[in-house]
Amino acid sequence: MSTSASAQMSIELSLPSELGYEVIARDAIAAFARRLGLAPERIEDLKTALCEACINAIEHGNLLKPELRVQVHCRVEAERLVIEVLDQGVSPFAPRGEPLSIIEKVSGLGSLRGMGLLLISQLCDEAGFVSRSGAGNCFRLAFQRQAIGGAHC
Amino acid sequence: MPFDVKAMGDETAQREPVEKVIELRLPSRLGYERVAMDTASALARRMGFHTDRVESLKTAIGEAVTNAIEHGNQHDAATKVVVMLTAREAELIVQVADQGRKPLDQECTTRQPQIAERLERDDKGGWGIWLIRELMDEVEFSTAPSGGNQVRMVIHLER
Repeated sequence: MSTSASAQMSIELSLPSELGYEVIARDAIAAFARRLGLAPERIEDLKTALCEACINAIEHGNLLKPELRVQVHCRVEAERLVIEVLDQGVSPFAPRGEPLSIIEKVSGLGSLRGMGLLLISQLCDEAGFVSRSGAGNCFRLAFQRQAIGGAHC
Repeated sequence: MPFDVKAMGDETAQREPVEKVIELRLPSRLGYERVAMDTASALARRMGFHTDRVESLKTAIGEAVTNAIEHGNQHDAATKVVVMLTAREAELIVQVADQGRKPLDQECTTRQPQIAERLERDDKGGWGIWLIRELMDEVEFSTAPSGGNQVRMVIHLER
């Protein structure tokens, strides 16, 4: 798929930075993924991962300020569905060393909170913060499309 | 939906309803109306609309976005359809805008479709605007300064 065709098949969503609105993003992008023919179990992974990423943007990136916005950009590449969650970066992401694993957390070695990024990394084919030109954090999630049959963009 | 209390003047405080706006930009390609339908449905359920009203909303927004893709944007893949959802305390406002590759005949927005006439059409279509008017509480068609077609639909929340 050419870059221009990919750009034409993109969707953009802008949401209030308020907990609960991640569900709107989840349902919107799930409909997009269904249309692309992503397998149902992968769509469930996508829904969970996207909710976590949006909650991070609302809670951490935008510090729960309801006047700010969260953007979700979704584009189709030849082999991947790429979703970017952008906040306004009141609080830029700063990695804090090697995180505890989910097993370590569940074993009581750390707080049960803060598992969002770990969970996302388990559910997506690619996940992580990427640099962006403007202010704010950009978290990218990607899902491989090779198992898609009969997909239409 | 919560209220924001804003101080107005010296001692008076006026309660103003908070508006929550969601904006969605979609490709002009048939099938993408499902994304708008599911987005609006998620918001309406969150606001407390009954299931049958959510279904009415989905049908209306599906028709409006399909019209925008097919007629307003003429299936031009370089154009987008913009859907704005504004959640207020007692209503949901849906605005659908296209880029006006073809202006909407304003007469179409008010004319009652005739069954015999519609059945003569190959696609049996032409019911979209009538359906939207039947399903939503307020409907208004207009033209943007840029020339794009716009429809503003309101559905009231009955608790």
